[in-house]
Amino acid sequence: AVIRQIDVRGADRIGSETVRSALTIVPGKDFSNADIDTSIKRLYATGFFSDVRVSVSGGTLVVVVNENQLINQIVFNGNRKITDEKLILLVKSKPLGPYSESMIEADLQSLRSAYADIGRSDVQITTQTAPVGNGRVNLAFVINEGDRTKIDQINFTGNNHYSATRLRSLIITKESGLFSFITRKDIYNEDKLRADEESLRQFYYNHGYADFRVLSSNAVLDPATNEYVITFDVDEGERYTFGPVNVESTVEGVDAAELQGLTESREGKTYRAKDVQASISEISKRVASAGYPFARVTPRGNRDMASKTISVDYLVDQGERGYVERIEIRGNTSTRDYVIRREFDLSEGDAFNQEAISEAKRRLERLGYFQTVNISTQPGSAPDRVVIIVDVVDQSTGTFGIGAGYATGGEGFILEASVEEKNFLGRGQFIRVSASGGAVTRNYNISFTEPYFLGYRLAAGFDLFRNENQLYDNYSYADQGFSLRVSAPINNDLSTTVRYNYKEVDYTSDNIRALSQPYQEVVKGSPWLTSSVSNSFNYNTLDTAILPHEGIVASITQELAGLGGDSEFYKLSGKARGYYTLSDEMDVVGSLSAGGGHVLSTTGKSLNVFDQFQLDSDDIRGFSDTGLGPRMRKNDDPLGGTTYFTVSAEVTFPMPGVPQDAGFRGGFFLDAGTLYGNDVKIKSGKPPQGVDMSLRASAGASVIWASPFGPLRVDYAVPFLREDFDIVQRLKFGISTSF
Amino acid sequence: CSTSEVIHNGYVIDKQTLALAPVGSSREQVLMSLGSPSATATFDTEVFYYISQTRKRAVAFMKPTLVEQNILAVYFNKDGEVDRLANYALQDGRVVDMISRTTPTGGTELSFIMRLLKGGVNPAAAAQQLLGSNQNRRY
Amino acid sequence: CTSDPDLDITKLAAETDPPEQLYNEGLANLNAGKTAEAQRKFDALDRQHPFSEWARKALVMSTFMKYRSGDNEGAIQNGTRYLSLYPQTKDSAYVQYLIGLSYSKQIPTVTQDQRAAAKTIEAMLKVVNDYPKSEYVDDAQTKIRYARDQLAGKEMQVGRYYEERKEYLAAISRFRTVVEQFPNTNQVEEALARLCESYYALGLADEAQTAAAVLGHNYPDSEWYKDSFALLQSKGLAPRENQGSWISRAGKKLLLGES
Repeated sequence: AVIRQIDVRGADRIGSETVRSALTIVPGKDFSNADIDTSIKRLYATGFFSDVRVSVSGGTLVVVVNENQLINQIVFNGNRKITDEKLILLVKSKPLGPYSESMIEADLQSLRSAYADIGRSDVQITTQTAPVGNGRVNLAFVINEGDRTKIDQINFTGNNHYSATRLRSLIITKESGLFSFITRKDIYNEDKLRADEESLRQFYYNHGYADFRVLSSNAVLDPATNEYVITFDVDEGERYTFGPVNVESTVEGVDAAELQGLTESREGKTYRAKDVQASISEISKRVASAGYPFARVTPRGNRDMASKTISVDYLVDQGERGYVERIEIRGNTSTRDYVIRREFDLSEGDAFNQEAISEAKRRLERLGYFQTVNISTQPGSAPDRVVIIVDVVDQSTGTFGIGAGYATGGEGFILEASVEEKNFLGRGQFIRVSASGGAVTRNYNISFTEPYFLGYRLAAGFDLFRNENQLYDNYSYADQGFSLRVSAPINNDLSTTVRYNYKEVDYTSDNIRALSQPYQEVVKGSPWLTSSVSNSFNYNTLDTAILPHEGIVASITQELAGLGGDSEFYKLSGKARGYYTLSDEMDVVGSLSAGGGHVLSTTGKSLNVFDQFQLDSDDIRGFSDTGLGPRMRKNDDPLGGTTYFTVSAEVTFPMPGVPQDAGFRGGFFLDAGTLYGNDVKIKSGKPPQGVDMSLRASAGASVIWASPFGPLRVDYAVPFLREDFDIVQRLKFGISTSF
Repeated sequence: CSTSEVIHNGYVIDKQTLALAPVGSSREQVLMSLGSPSATATFDTEVFYYISQTRKRAVAFMKPTLVEQNILAVYFNKDGEVDRLANYALQDGRVVDMISRTTPTGGTELSFIMRLLKGGVNPAAAAQQLLGSNQNRRY
Repeated sequence: CTSDPDLDITKLAAETDPPEQLYNEGLANLNAGKTAEAQRKFDALDRQHPFSEWARKALVMSTFMKYRSGDNEGAIQNGTRYLSLYPQTKDSAYVQYLIGLSYSKQIPTVTQDQRAAAKTIEAMLKVVNDYPKSEYVDDAQTKIRYARDQLAGKEMQVGRYYEERKEYLAAISRFRTVVEQFPNTNQVEEALARLCESYYALGLADEAQTAAAVLGHNYPDSEWYKDSFALLQSKGLAPRENQGSWISRAGKKLLLGES
């Protein structure tokens, strides 16, 4: 049909021009019923009309509409926690848009969920309207935010092997406590609860409880107190150990016996899902490199209720032959393509291997550059071809920190500013610039690392540093220099680092006669240069960095100085610390650590003061920095020592009587050690004290607080075995590190 | 356990199926038995290349070195039947040093400062690091 | 944190300045360089006189100003809103073109996700197809070529990544994508040269020679052709086209100018 003109009725506010432009029908052009349908749909889609009727009479198309009221302006009143700007994005109603009941209802819902996300699920939101003439109306969302919805308690039922405090430390949702307004961890939301269930499952699966189930987890809001009570009802089931483990293969050419040694899950060990996962990845890696990349490894565990063991069979069977056609990387707005692609061991055109893809996903997540990493597959251009899609969402990896700290031992208050970027210019490089200063100290540091140096899996980098310290009486110390380092992974837990160090040491004094003879020489001869090469091996299997419950962290370093410079020595030092959970119920963690070192001159000439070892208050608590070891009688100048040993035993437990969320732990420790031997030439003056070996020991208690700013620690130690010339410092407050 | 690792890239040769694509077999038969080729030509009188490489990596951080490379070339005649098979091994290959010049491309580069600001500062991490670094001073 | 003041909506009468005055004030501010003030005028016009001819013009101007001040996302949102409200008007071509420009400004370097390049092509193709007679068609086409160069550049980037690691199979398929899907971009010369390098490294001499021959045919005085020629020369080979190879077929397409 064809019409000569279009007559629009009822669109006095919107204007018939707009209605005509929305139609797909134009005078003089043929149109069908379908055109009428699409035109009606388009008119409704604009949202301005509550009713649209289209009819044809004679040569004219008659469009009768009646208009929704129009919104003139939208205003949010009473909102403090969320700004207007953010709220306007959440609502569909727009200034100049239609005023429709259903749209406003949807807006109210999205506003309520926005407030629930920041912990105010008891918010009340109402709307007000004020007509403004010719069919337009102002709309106001009146928000009464109420106060923060807290979480009163998190309870567990059915947990008889692990205490509630232990389980609470595993989950993200926390009870409201002193610092919740900063940490915001006491905000209840649905998906965080699901994530908590998952972390409980992971914990139990990795501690032998293969049948663990979360029966139910619910949060009850008490409207009177505006607080949630969350209860997890769990069924722990039996604790299993590994039964017989064997590998079977249906792929000829793959000899199952040879793969047997690869399984982490050895008979008798406590069942751990991690071990099964590790075994699968080891076996499939070995099978792939033996030339069978399509083989699949699937575990099958069968439980033996009587002996509470799970015997695990790893079945190696032939998967279907598929090849990777392309690896598409999407969403990387700042990380560069090759930084992601190099984490894949498989390339385009290679055999499709699911294990290699999950390994790449784990590696990408470990980089810490992305909020989310999703890897999916799509069919390729041929039946046996697959396209791998890697969807990443970049996250901000830069931090700009300004802060203050306090450390006993004379340093007092410290101010610090630092800029750090983990993914510098999206190239995966690490860069950190920091400066800090206190009453008597100044420290400046620049460090840079490229994780894939020249395409090798070598993390190469450099550090520039300058430290000044006027803590001592009658002299001050400063050092500056740089070090170049390259570190290489040997396996997941072990890595080695080779380092060249160039350090200028500078002693100055305005009262040189007060110093002992060696120090006078050191001041007169300043600045000194130490140029050395060192190699260290670092081993780390801690389960978490902060407050670990199990695992070992150890390092051993040897340093050879003498490539030019004024120091010629060979220095060997090492330290190891092991953590072990003594009681799961009471969440008591024990740790043992030992350290030692020896330095000897390589030319028979004597060493300089700054070549010898110094122990500080972290090594043996109860003594101040350079508080023990060989010491000149005059001015108590510390000479350091050629050899040292330290040993420490510690046990920590949740602080009784303190709300659990605050994260306080108490601890007792016993430290012992010695620093002896002197190779610095003493030309004049009385011989130094403390040159020969004598054991010092101290015992004490500490309070550790997992604050939102990192673990803070206060140690009080009483040295019960000491020399009278040692310098004691019973109280130590500062930052605790796990190693 | 030896730290050396063997990596296979590209097409996986399977001795038995090789015999299923003798001279004279049709294109479909080759596709059925050997699978879709690594590099192909889409038109009839064409060549299928099945390229596979094997590399060895002595230690975890080293670059893998190419130890084996062979290409099975399946040549088809006019009416789409295999008329000859050829095998190229590593020694047929030659060492090529790539031209370092690249064709210029455009696009805006996010500067360091913009990245830092775009991401915004996350207070907890900054604060965490504030006290974490002042304990490793050695004299 | 500062909280926004509460407003009493009953007093918020609809200010009604004459639309033409608002529009001219906006234009005056724009010419005087006071973009923020101009933006406020155009927004006020948009709010007070919705659907008026002036409001339509104001929306075009505010889209342009957002684009020029670098607020690409804002320009795209305004532009899309304009096209949904006023699909067939004389300014629609210009607004569609502005949307394409805003996307093209967001195109990152080839090592990053080229979604913006794909969006640019999509928007600019709308300019070319929906408004063939508009004066923006030829610049739209240059932007399309620029965006396709970027997409081809990304393929080359990944191809070189694999070629450096001697994974020639992966490299060849990437360079091949450039020759087959992006023949009329500035990257195709290098793609052919890299194909010559990769096939040569694999020992497939005739494929290498064909790649060099096609490169020679289409770009006789290209730097890349000199390099490929020298590479083949060093082993006593000469660029010779093996008619059957896919490259020569793709090459013919280049010659005949079909793309």
